[in-house]
Amino acid sequence: MSETATQLIPAQRLRVAVWTSDPRRRNVLGRVVAEAGHLVVDGEDTADVVLADGGIAAGETRPVVTLGGADHDRAGMLSRDADARQIDAAIRAVAAGLIVRAPDLLESGFAAINEPDGHALLTPRELDVLTALAEGLTNKAIARRLAISLHTVKFHLESLFRKLGARTRTEAVAKASERRRLETINL
Amino acid sequence: MTDQPDPLAQFSAALVARAKAAANAVVAIRLAHERHLTGLLWRSDIVIASEQSLPDNTDFELVAPGGAVVTATLTGRDPSTNIAMLRLATPLAEPAMRPGDAEVGALALAMGADGAGGSSARLGLVNLAAPEWHSSRGGLIDRRIVLDLALARREEGGPVFDASGACLGMSTFGPRGQVIVIPTATIARIVPLLAKDGHIARGWLGVALQAVAVPDALRQSAEQSSGLMVMSVVDDGPAALAGIVAGDIILSVDGTSTQRWRKVARLFGSDSIGRKAEIRLIRSGQVMTVQTTITERRAA
Repeated sequence: MSETATQLIPAQRLRVAVWTSDPRRRNVLGRVVAEAGHLVVDGEDTADVVLADGGIAAGETRPVVTLGGADHDRAGMLSRDADARQIDAAIRAVAAGLIVRAPDLLESGFAAINEPDGHALLTPRELDVLTALAEGLTNKAIARRLAISLHTVKFHLESLFRKLGARTRTEAVAKASERRRLETINL
Repeated sequence: MTDQPDPLAQFSAALVARAKAAANAVVAIRLAHERHLTGLLWRSDIVIASEQSLPDNTDFELVAPGGAVVTATLTGRDPSTNIAMLRLATPLAEPAMRPGDAEVGALALAMGADGAGGSSARLGLVNLAAPEWHSSRGGLIDRRIVLDLALARREEGGPVFDASGACLGMSTFGPRGQVIVIPTATIARIVPLLAKDGHIARGWLGVALQAVAVPDALRQSAEQSSGLMVMSVVDDGPAALAGIVAGDIILSVDGTSTQRWRKVARLFGSDSIGRKAEIRLIRSGQVMTVQTTITERRAA
């Protein structure tokens, strides 16, 4: 099994066309593609795969991986903030004829405004601590950054864990980001 | 025995008759890679589809009941009610569309398109029928209707009928694959607006918000225990022009507390465009008020 698997995943260099209307984003995505060992090409005709922002009218002759948007007819569908590893995996998968979906996009659907339970709302300070957690900072580093005592950091962490129903730091970050995705409203 | 009609066979035959009658309201909307979505034939030249799943194209190829391929053009789309409207180049036979009202426990027949001019059917119960609700995209949906049935992706957007053959609305996916219905009343309300303008005008401030607890020390001056924290501000939007910055906690808009999102969402209907609004917020530990003018939401 493992022998077959290693044979089937050579470091294949794919030709990838990057489609986005934002030149800065084009640079970033181009770098992600290049660092994953692929070649960024200009035209769709010379590409194996197209990497496009959601809503961009990419052609239909090559498999397309979209970032954000609701292009359900595309081979690959990732969220707009997909990381480099996910983008590389999706490019390789659609080039091999597979369909790729990020799980949160499968779960998405037409939903009601989510009125969260008032008791479980985070405070602005807890959100600051959470941002630091997401960056992988230690308690000591969090205390330094927010100019609070180590004791206060622990107090905020306990409250965060309780409100989010999380047992580990990673779980707290994941649950908070899920909550933000579901509960952000745009006015 | 032979004289006695079998009730189960009768029930099945009645369903078959309903599904046949419903088929003239079902069209397939062709997508790339030989895939398709379902559309609801609303009038002889108007097709309604699920906005969240319809690709960003202007022109579409549709398969009419019976298999004829017809072209249609996007007239408009409204993410807030999940309704997209297509106009057919050549009208089809007028479908029989009688509006129906959902009741909990009633049978629901959800129709889909098979992509070749035929239809597929799903039978379930009306699992939930509740009053109006607001979508996370700010639209008002006239009734909350949840169905107890499974639906394939390609069947989304088809009509849902009750046992009398009246149309409850258009099927679509809610969160976690739940099948919900956009009621006929909502479609009837939105279609004339989309036909006129191509979109539904909504008021806009240009901010992304998340509910937060107001810190204990500020609860007394804020006079409330939660608010909406500004996570990001759109450049040159009304909020940005009023000096609102990320980190501000909005307490009320024109006196309506942000503790109840639904009430706040109601303030941003099409009639709010151009209206001045007073926003009460917390910034750097101080409660203050800023003036802003609501503008029309920019195309997403």
